[in-house]
Amino acid sequence: MKLYNTLKELCLCPAVSGREEKIRAKLEQLIAPFCDEYRTDALGNLIAVRKGNRNGKRIMLAAHMDEIGFLVTFIEDSGMLRVAPVGGISLAAAAYSRVVSENGVKGVIVPEDKVKAADYKSEVFYIDIGAKSKKRAEAQVSIGDFFVATPSLDKLLGDRVCGRPLDDRVGCTALLGIAEAMQSVQCEHDVYYVFSVQEEVGCRGAKTAAFAIAPHVALCFDVTATGDTPSCAPMACSLGDGAAIKIKDASVICDEDVTRRLCEIAKQKKIKAQKEILLFGGTDTSAMQLAGAGAAVGALSIPTRYIHSGVEMCDLGDVQSCIDLGVEFIKSI
Amino acid sequence: MNSVQLIERLCAAFGPSGREEAVAQLIKEQIKDICHSVHTDRMGNLIAVMKFGDVNAKSRKRIMISAHMDEVGFMINEIKSNGYLGFDTVGGISESVLAGRRVTVLGKDATLSGLIASKAIHHKEKKDRSKTTPIDKLYIDIGALDGDEAKEHVSIGDFATFDSPFYTFGDGMVKGKALDDRMGCAAMIEIIRRLKENPAEGNTDVCFCFTVREEIGLSGAKAAAYRIRPNMAIVLETTAIADIADVPASRRVADVGGGAVISVMDRSTIYDKALVSMALDIAKERSVKAQVKRYVSGGNDAGTIHKTAEGVKTLAISVPTRYLHSPACVASINDYYAVRDLCEGIIRASASKEEI
Amino acid sequence: MLDKDKIKQAIFSLCSVMSVSGFEKRATPYIESTFKDNFDSISCDAVGNHLLVKKCGKENAPKVIIDAHMDEVGMIVTGITDDGFLRIAPMGGLDVSIMQAADVIIYGKEELRGVIASTPPHLKKDDKLPAPDELLVDTGLNGKAVKELVDIGTPVGFAPVYGELLNGRLIGKSFDDKACAAIGICAVASTPPEVLAADVYVLLSATEETNRLGGVSAAVFATDPDYAMVIDVNLARVPDTKDFETVEMDKGISISHSAATHRGLTLATEELCREKDIPYTPVAAPSSTGTNAATVNLVGLGVPVVDVGLPLACMHTYNEVISMTDICSLASLVREFISSDKLADKMARREDIII
Repeated sequence: MKLYNTLKELCLCPAVSGREEKIRAKLEQLIAPFCDEYRTDALGNLIAVRKGNRNGKRIMLAAHMDEIGFLVTFIEDSGMLRVAPVGGISLAAAAYSRVVSENGVKGVIVPEDKVKAADYKSEVFYIDIGAKSKKRAEAQVSIGDFFVATPSLDKLLGDRVCGRPLDDRVGCTALLGIAEAMQSVQCEHDVYYVFSVQEEVGCRGAKTAAFAIAPHVALCFDVTATGDTPSCAPMACSLGDGAAIKIKDASVICDEDVTRRLCEIAKQKKIKAQKEILLFGGTDTSAMQLAGAGAAVGALSIPTRYIHSGVEMCDLGDVQSCIDLGVEFIKSI
Repeated sequence: MNSVQLIERLCAAFGPSGREEAVAQLIKEQIKDICHSVHTDRMGNLIAVMKFGDVNAKSRKRIMISAHMDEVGFMINEIKSNGYLGFDTVGGISESVLAGRRVTVLGKDATLSGLIASKAIHHKEKKDRSKTTPIDKLYIDIGALDGDEAKEHVSIGDFATFDSPFYTFGDGMVKGKALDDRMGCAAMIEIIRRLKENPAEGNTDVCFCFTVREEIGLSGAKAAAYRIRPNMAIVLETTAIADIADVPASRRVADVGGGAVISVMDRSTIYDKALVSMALDIAKERSVKAQVKRYVSGGNDAGTIHKTAEGVKTLAISVPTRYLHSPACVASINDYYAVRDLCEGIIRASASKEEI
Repeated sequence: MLDKDKIKQAIFSLCSVMSVSGFEKRATPYIESTFKDNFDSISCDAVGNHLLVKKCGKENAPKVIIDAHMDEVGMIVTGITDDGFLRIAPMGGLDVSIMQAADVIIYGKEELRGVIASTPPHLKKDDKLPAPDELLVDTGLNGKAVKELVDIGTPVGFAPVYGELLNGRLIGKSFDDKACAAIGICAVASTPPEVLAADVYVLLSATEETNRLGGVSAAVFATDPDYAMVIDVNLARVPDTKDFETVEMDKGISISHSAATHRGLTLATEELCREKDIPYTPVAAPSSTGTNAATVNLVGLGVPVVDVGLPLACMHTYNEVISMTDICSLASLVREFISSDKLADKMARREDIII
């Protein structure tokens, strides 16, 4: 229940890439009790640290707090807003959904009437906020404002939840869970909890945060795709089968020692886990691996169906597995 | 030298990505006596520093201003036995602006005139006549009679640029090659002069970086930003626009004559919110014309600068420019003034602030 | 003196060691045990870059990096079917047209032999190639036995079989780029320290084939060299290729002219080749080199770099072809490059810019 409540609180706080102020304020509040200090860097990453003794290593845990959305690029005479996608928007999933601006203006995003789904591109989409004219629209919205698909979160059967943006508020939830659990653990290492910005536009925030921290070991918490829906591409990863230990995605090959250690701990401590090989997509893992002089990286992914749609779905049991495995991993170093 | 003359001189200089020395030399002559220091780094970036306020103050701020010196161009990749030269582009040039153009080739000892040519329309098959000629069917003719004569003047790996006259025309318009980004360089030179005459307030270093190799996406701005580690950066650029007949209003990006273009987002950067609003406020205060970029396209040095080291708050201000990356770029001189004046205003305002 | 046979054996030996992109650390024991006597130190960083350091013994000597990537294209196990076949995904830009019926080795708990399954002509509907994720590896074992030895994430490589053609042409897998790595190591190892003009860091870099940026940046950042040479293979001229995109074999190495590398160092390297009678071909690589050189150049405050290529045919297959003549040219160049006082003097950082 607690996981669900935290996740819901985070999901309902919109924060498109590059405009993460609101979610950052919320996360500051939530992480503050579990860390010694926190700061916001030039790009807007929230970097919290729980200090160990001086001989320890630097361990960086990261989850991104931004989400995909839309940028208003033009306002038509009719009052309709033209937009550009921010991050990997699936236009088929976005069509005919509710949206809300960073200032709380509500609307719907729709394609032009005659365009067939196969011909969708961002130029044929517009946001209708119900304005009668350009003037009325301009009273509410300016060029350069951002919108996101309206957030929501619902409980389904069992531990499954559905809504948006699970990507990557589930990762943020996992980080908070680890930070809380680590309170009762004596740890000689400095553990950094980084809520990164601008992951969805190319892992930009994690890069600068990792450069500043120069971690020895870094773990990324993000969503991954699954191979458990009708006629999907083969992928050995399923909802409910536990934390997904990343072997690789299209942007990174994780450190073999880190993945091996994660697998062994999962087995020893009987934490549900599975291995993940994602053939597309990238995560902050890659940015952390190559920042500065490099770091040994791994990732614990939360298996998630329908990523980047309004009905992303995951299993809270898997989130708990990620928390448990994350904690045991830190303890093992 | 007035602004137009300065832009003309800078545009005339030979400076494709990787061979910016002549541009750097020209700029250095203009500013070397009025800056605190002027250095060329290992990449070829020219870095000029002006220091304001108390030089020994404990906490000093650093502002990086950046414009790139390089232009799109060509590299010779083959010397054919009949004396013609095969070539490829350096940076992104559309094949549709290649055929028939004059070029300058920087050969072994001297620059040579040449032209990009293909077979005459009479020899082209009917189906090819309405199509762009692909680059591997084009060649550069320097007048050499055979491969041996060509090799006396040119080597594989030599560079070339468009050779296109600069002029003013119409209502305050300028036309030339390399307006991208010699207008940004010109603006920085003029701002340096103004800051020399009327120094900024506050304990601040203003580092003007004339960078290399922006056009190939492997910009030297990264090394410059890593050296400077600024508290904020402003990139002065040109931005490609399509404010021409037959393009729907929502896709024109920005308007010539509409003033300095302030970017919210492009393909390489989401710009700092506070800096964007500050730029808009200062434009209003100083009555400088400004417009917000109305499309997500292109990228510039901001993309590498803002991700450097621990991250840098970054802003981009551009001159809206038609026909970018062609031998005939067109811009309005009033938009250039707007970019220059707005940037100067932001520097002065930021320099005097306690904290950026 | 450079010993041709020694270099050839070093190439075959290093290229046989499994180092599929992302699994470079598995080669650490081999590298340490094979080369420890020839270098002052050998280390491996978090990303999998190996650094072999040989000091020249002078104080405040400049640092030069000789980089060759040591990862190879290969495959990774993504799934295991109940009847014992392995699903695989490519690691790096494999040529799918050569995959079917290829001999592979699966580097699980034990090294297993395997064959990539193919459809015989009798049963083929069309000549369309299968997508990489449709390929299956036959281990000859049943599902239960395979699952005990192989897990998801296990690397798979082509079987190393080396041979020679006429005129000193060598054939085998992973010459890209471990042949260059072996040549670099041999050239540095055989040069006495007192001849070195700089402290030499032979960098066997990781994940060039799979990460667009490559692991190389981390090691270059940590080393902070004064100048660098990147050696990688270059596409050799074969039937049906364009002249300006390729280099001829047996005519020596290629040296890239590019906006992405250091012009001064490039010209100085060409001059060195002419002085020392080392055959080379200048090639144009206008906007990028397609190698680590473009990345190395942009690390930290910027690193002057020259991009050197060894002509190689049939790239990214298990029967790549290189020539002994070119190998000797490359070895000679590396040796002269690290021994040249003129170069070291030209490239050594003087007083740094102070802002």
